[in-house]
Amino acid sequence: MLRIRNVSKSFSGTKVLDDISLDIEKSSIVGLAGPSGSGKSTMLRCLQKIESPDSGAIDYDCNVGFMFQDFQLFPHMTVLQNLVYAPALKARDSKGKYTTKAMAMLKDLGIESKASEYPCTLSGGQKQRVALARSLMTDPDTLLCDEPTSGLDVATITDVITLLRGVNQLGVTIIVASHDLDFLTAISDRIILLRDGKIVTEISPQQHDDPVGYLSTYYN
Amino acid sequence: MSNQLIADFLYICAGVAMTLKLLLGSILVGLSLGVLFAIARYRNICRGVIKGIVSVIRGTPSILQLSIVYFVIPQVYSCKLDVITTGIIAFGINSSAYVSEILRAGIESLPKGQFEAAYSLGIPPFYMWKDIILPQVAANVFPAIVNETVTLLKETALVATIGGADIMRRSQIIAASRYEYLTPLCVAGLVYYLLVLVLEFAGREIEKRQRPYAKNP
Repeated sequence: MLRIRNVSKSFSGTKVLDDISLDIEKSSIVGLAGPSGSGKSTMLRCLQKIESPDSGAIDYDCNVGFMFQDFQLFPHMTVLQNLVYAPALKARDSKGKYTTKAMAMLKDLGIESKASEYPCTLSGGQKQRVALARSLMTDPDTLLCDEPTSGLDVATITDVITLLRGVNQLGVTIIVASHDLDFLTAISDRIILLRDGKIVTEISPQQHDDPVGYLSTYYN
Repeated sequence: MSNQLIADFLYICAGVAMTLKLLLGSILVGLSLGVLFAIARYRNICRGVIKGIVSVIRGTPSILQLSIVYFVIPQVYSCKLDVITTGIIAFGINSSAYVSEILRAGIESLPKGQFEAAYSLGIPPFYMWKDIILPQVAANVFPAIVNETVTLLKETALVATIGGADIMRRSQIIAASRYEYLTPLCVAGLVYYLLVLVLEFAGREIEKRQRPYAKNP
């Protein structure tokens, strides 16, 4: 369980997160919705400890992986090196063990043939897969995804949904921030809508007649 | 007569050894200090002090810095510095100021997400700089570093003022002994120019071979 208590965060006087409290159950998929500037990304960045909250507390004892909006693959490393570098360094281990693991993962994601390519040669969907694989290499219990569908076409978005579901079925908690309500509705057990740094509503899309229509009303 | 000319020519060319020693030493010192300065400034370590040092180095003539190292340090610490050590210290520190500015721009031009991705993956700072950030920065600023090396090569001619027998000093010696300035100075100019051409060619070749990857991550 991931526990967020009274978290606030400001950037140069503007409150981006305003007294947020939230519990996230293990192995659930939680969507963070909200208009641009509502605090979705900042919330994820606080969870990953890239930003530290001004006040409040975030408690969890799990290994967290992060998928960036613009992937942030290392451009000077091949796909395989991108996957293997960090875990091999952490384990102070030779890269052999992780190479096998990485290749298996790339095979599962259908991009095995791209292992020795550089990220700049990949399409958006392929980069997304590499980014997912890289964040999974450290066996996280929780995966944070920032706008995983931005810039992807409809077919690739469907793939992302399938991939994230697959990861979730292995027991990984997923927290995903997106402005794409259709995507969030399709994937999430729970959608939390932020506006001006506050939680304004929360729904379970499966138990709602028109989740997208309902959530859209908060965007105006 | 022509034997004399050839002997003079070879005498001047023998200065290439000293020029290259100075260049190599200064680049090593300049790059090492420059990297440290740039990283420290980025991480807000002694930022004010480093900014001050860089400002003073860039704001005073190289010949003055060379003279300070050659004349003042031995007086204060009662030691003796030879010409090459003096040159490497002075030009190296001088170059470090320019290199640190080049690297700072290179570091700041990388997407912040690269640092955050490294952090998220649990890569310790030393390895993040060594394996993630600096290789990308190096590729991006390489042309500027070649440019700095060319400038440094020409700057080494200042050791002539403290008696270093480099290309410049040797051409002056020949000129003074023959009362004839045009030929020896032109020879010196030609040798410097050829060295610069070689550096530029090597730079271009290295640039062609590096980074099979394009810019967008």
